[in-house]
Amino acid sequence: MIQMFHVSKTFGKDLEALVDIDLHIHKGEMVFLAGPNGAGKSTLLRLIFCDELPTSGQILVNGRNIVRMKPRMVPQLRRTLGIVFQDFKLLRDRTIEENLALVARVVGLTTSQTQHKVAQLLTLVGLSHKAQMAPYKLSSGEQQRVAMARALMNDPLILLADEPTGNLDAELATDVLRLLFEVNAQGTTVLVATHNLKLAEEAGCRTVFLKQGRIVGEWNGGK
Amino acid sequence: MVEKLKYLLTHALINVVRAGWGSLASIASIAVSFVIIGIFVLVIQHFNALIAEWQEQFQVSVFLDDQITPLQVNMLKRRIENEAAVKAFTFTSKEEALTSFRRELKGQESLLEGLGDNPLPASFQLKIREEYQSSEALKGLSAFLSRLEGVEDIQYGQEWVERMTRAERLIRLLGAIIGSVLTLGAAMIVSNTIRLAVYARAQEIEIMRLVGATKAYIRAPFLVEGMLQGSLGAALALGVLFAAYRFVAPTFNVVSPLFSIGASRGFLESSMMAGLVGGGAAIGALGSSLAVNRFLKM
Repeated sequence: MIQMFHVSKTFGKDLEALVDIDLHIHKGEMVFLAGPNGAGKSTLLRLIFCDELPTSGQILVNGRNIVRMKPRMVPQLRRTLGIVFQDFKLLRDRTIEENLALVARVVGLTTSQTQHKVAQLLTLVGLSHKAQMAPYKLSSGEQQRVAMARALMNDPLILLADEPTGNLDAELATDVLRLLFEVNAQGTTVLVATHNLKLAEEAGCRTVFLKQGRIVGEWNGGK
Repeated sequence: MVEKLKYLLTHALINVVRAGWGSLASIASIAVSFVIIGIFVLVIQHFNALIAEWQEQFQVSVFLDDQITPLQVNMLKRRIENEAAVKAFTFTSKEEALTSFRRELKGQESLLEGLGDNPLPASFQLKIREEYQSSEALKGLSAFLSRLEGVEDIQYGQEWVERMTRAERLIRLLGAIIGSVLTLGAAMIVSNTIRLAVYARAQEIEIMRLVGATKAYIRAPFLVEGMLQGSLGAALALGVLFAAYRFVAPTFNVVSPLFSIGASRGFLESSMMAGLVGGGAAIGALGSSLAVNRFLKM
């Protein structure tokens, strides 16, 4: 589903964010990308959703070479992805329902489809009763669950989660992890970037270790 | 399509309301620019009306030699008839000129008693087509007419024509320069206020980008918002101008009778008002387009 061949990314003249990355993630797989802050995890995710272009190397997402992709095709690629951020990126002046509906409009769902999808996902993340609330009135854990629901609005082929538990305590982190497993169980490929090695270990999934922009090891999740 | 348009308009309206004071400030700034633009348009319109009025009344007097024969008068008539610059003309004989003069001196006819012979010349009064009323064309016409047999003098207020032509050119030039500067200024105001709105909604734009919205999709609500603000600003300016015009114009009529000629034509023509509101919308769209483009990087 995601294939990276000798991918490097340099910012400016000599800031090497990623160096010679070779990574293959299969369809339906759930993979953790672990490493300390500044290891290049977020940059790697941003390359996948075309927020940055690699300095060298090739990246295939769902069989398409996104490095050679024309800029006007980028929105189409992004409509097949779901992205979750550490800081949730929820709009404060909209209700939870409106935050989710924003994605539905972009991907062209009708009003009734949107209502159905929003209700379905809020049930999945256990927040149906808070649909009309503003995000800032929710706890961090709840906000992250809303962010996940939003990322699933377009039925993504791939879910990219950048430090999804970074702002949560251990119990809430486990909740989010459970949710990620549920999404993965439905066939979505999941790639999670985290500096929390314990979380990756707890998940028992394939984990790729990054350090200073290089892959320095891999753990198969004990399988 | 209809649903999309409805969505765009509703959301542009919601965004204008949501931005609150920011929107009001933007609409007010556009209104101020358009009041100034409107004043210029109004002045130019009145000046044009004044010139049109003047052009309508403008005539060239061709005074004839006292010794001219009826045959020569007829020949002159034919030459004048065939002249392209002449729209219409009337002939005033020596006797008619005296009668008319007497009428003007009503009550003081005794002044004419000592005159003896009629000293007033016969003349032709020529109405000139507008396109021939420039200083250069009139000089040419005057030179041509003065060479004709039986013509003694030509009068058309040469100095006035030259002054009016110069003033007309100056006002048109000033109008074009000031109009362009103000239009650019209004576009920059809209651009800056919308840029603030864009920054305020940076996260929304970022999310839209990341979930696969195209540039056009992101830009459209801002464009509509800009158009809405621009046209509202221009309409507000027209309202203010109209109120001021109603209040101020009568004062001007007393001060300057010249102004009353223009003022009698009324407020801005409806096509001009529609043009100003449309211009406001266009400037709003341009301003917001500038603001969003600077911000939108895919």
